[in-house]
Amino acid sequence: MDLILKIMNLSKVFGGLMALREVSLQVEAGKIVGIIGPNGAGKTTLFNCLTSLYSATKGQIFLGEQPLLPEISGTKVKLIQQCALLFFLISLAWLPLSWSFFLPHTFYKLELTLLGIFLLGIRLLVARKLRRFQIWAWGVMFVLLGGDGCLAVWWLTHPSKLGHLAGTGIPLAYFAIPWSVFVTPFSVFLIRQLLVRKVRQLYGFRMGPDAITRAGVARTFQNIRLFLNLSVLDNVKIGSHAHLRSGLFSTLLRTRLQRKEEGLIEAEAMEQLRFVGLQHRVFDLAGSLAYGEQRRLEIARALATKPNLLLLDEPAAGMNPQESSRLIQLIGEIRKRGVTVLIIEHDMKVMMNLADYIYALDHGVLIAQGTPDEIRENPRVIEAYLGRGAAHA
Amino acid sequence: MIKSPGAGITHRSMFLGLLFLALLLPWLPMGGFTNYVLRIITTAVLYMILALGLNIVPGFTGLLDLGYVGFYGIGAYTAGLLAIHYDLSFWIIIPLAALNGALWGILLGAPTLRLTGDYFAIVTFGFSELVVLVLRNELWLTRGPMGLPGISPPSLFGHNLVHDWEFFYLALFLLMIILLVVTRLENSRLGRAWFAIREDEIAAQCCGINLIRYKVMAFAISASIGGLGGAFYAKWFKFIHPDMFKFWESILVLCLIVFGGMGSISGTMLGALLLIPLSEILRMVLPQSLFNARYLIYGLVLVLMMRFRPMGLIPFERAQADKALRARRRLAAQEKEE
Repeated sequence: MDLILKIMNLSKVFGGLMALREVSLQVEAGKIVGIIGPNGAGKTTLFNCLTSLYSATKGQIFLGEQPLLPEISGTKVKLIQQCALLFFLISLAWLPLSWSFFLPHTFYKLELTLLGIFLLGIRLLVARKLRRFQIWAWGVMFVLLGGDGCLAVWWLTHPSKLGHLAGTGIPLAYFAIPWSVFVTPFSVFLIRQLLVRKVRQLYGFRMGPDAITRAGVARTFQNIRLFLNLSVLDNVKIGSHAHLRSGLFSTLLRTRLQRKEEGLIEAEAMEQLRFVGLQHRVFDLAGSLAYGEQRRLEIARALATKPNLLLLDEPAAGMNPQESSRLIQLIGEIRKRGVTVLIIEHDMKVMMNLADYIYALDHGVLIAQGTPDEIRENPRVIEAYLGRGAAHA
Repeated sequence: MIKSPGAGITHRSMFLGLLFLALLLPWLPMGGFTNYVLRIITTAVLYMILALGLNIVPGFTGLLDLGYVGFYGIGAYTAGLLAIHYDLSFWIIIPLAALNGALWGILLGAPTLRLTGDYFAIVTFGFSELVVLVLRNELWLTRGPMGLPGISPPSLFGHNLVHDWEFFYLALFLLMIILLVVTRLENSRLGRAWFAIREDEIAAQCCGINLIRYKVMAFAISASIGGLGGAFYAKWFKFIHPDMFKFWESILVLCLIVFGGMGSISGTMLGALLLIPLSEILRMVLPQSLFNARYLIYGLVLVLMMRFRPMGLIPFERAQADKALRARRRLAAQEKEE
């Protein structure tokens, strides 16, 4: 048994509402797995957590062997982030003070402006990736301790002249003494905390939605999200974004690599469009397509990211029987390509035809799991859909 | 299928025809008005460059940028100061000014592009005001309100450019470069990523596009084109002053884009080509007492545009359909060959 996705005890809380409560599920490679449940059961929330559009409050997700979410809870992550921010604010507030001490004439509004931009930059860097954050953290720590060191040496050599804050009569010692007594040890401690291995892993594995896509998970949306003002072909080409390497300079110089890539993805995109049966509408605007065609285009775009795992969010919603039977056929063909499919669907006919295994959610709780036949007979599922009376009838 | 204008003529031949006309312009008989017309057209070309640069941010990426003139000013002062203090050649100054613009674009964009919509617009607005304040107050660097006079003219093979037609050709040359850059970007992985971000950020992320990275790139490229435009302006006008880079300029360039059609390259250029001379013609036609009323007429044109062509003269959608048409024709030609 080869697991492609394993979710363990995933919870998601919005304010006071528990949208997902300790949900665990497993998806085997090459299978089609369904998720059913009444409206508001948390199915789409589950998908959003999987693709990192939401960050889960608790729990773990494994994509194959790779963990996507850390063991540490969301609140803890937030706490660490806030501590880091606080630390940077304190340490940077120190910088202009020490500048004003050493170079009184340059302490001026331009520098303050630069500092403001710098502060915002730091805030940005704190939130995302650890590796970049680490570089900054070490850098700031060196600047900080270096500044303190210089100050200490200066004080030792000029014991009679304790400086004043430029422009005011406030002795610098008012700031410097509490700083060296309290903030420096505190900041050193914090930085050490931030750089320990556990936190590094924590940040290292927190991937954004784009990184998740690059890791091989593609999805479609319940309310179709296409690039409506672009052509059908461009929509699919954007899907293969992550597999291209050409950047700014190869584009401007139109290098051989870039031309080769463009030709290649054009052929690939045509391939995908033929696969979903849209080859006759390649150059039309995506917004001009019929509803069913838009659904299929979204699938083509998701396939263009070359996923191992495809998440389909109510693909048959609003389709007529003819269209949905075509869709069933299409999803079967996707499976034959070796893509595992995880599918949310209300249409039980579609589900019973397609799914190898079904999970049922209600109010964020996993209420049943099993093969389609087992699910059909399950009293709790019937109750969730039709109310209490129906299960006993 | 949307019918496109000029579907009968191919794009390339239309472009070459227009370019030929433009190159001919200085030599047409205009009875004493030649230099005046040339100056107006050169201004229009300069604004075409600026509009193409700005277009990358609101047009391609869908972020409202109200601080474009900041980069224009940075480019102009970079060029002016480099020319005065170091006497560098125009051809070295141009890339340096563009680089400096890009640098500030990244410095401003990297931290603030996390903000969405209106908040981002406010930040960019603040930035442009900040640039003007610094230009005005940092006397040691910019001479403040006295401005920077005596910037040397650009030279080519040891010959200083002085005539209006020379500057016109120079502007046209820069425009061609920018046009090449912008069209290449539009039809590349980068351009598609920008369009995707504009259309739907969440879907773009789920296609593997790193939002911040591509937004900062768009901002930096746009800023560098603004810097380049500023450098040309400084070298052309030979005098720059902080008041030349006020907020109004940002709005003007934004108007050009909106008028021409956000996101469409040909629309953007058409917008600049129509609106900039319009303001000059109004300046000439109106009597002295109604001189400032030209902005009213300007506003009226925009209002009429909103009423009759709300998506601009050449809307983006149409530009896309045009592109699709060309792609289809190319494909048909290929099949015929086979």
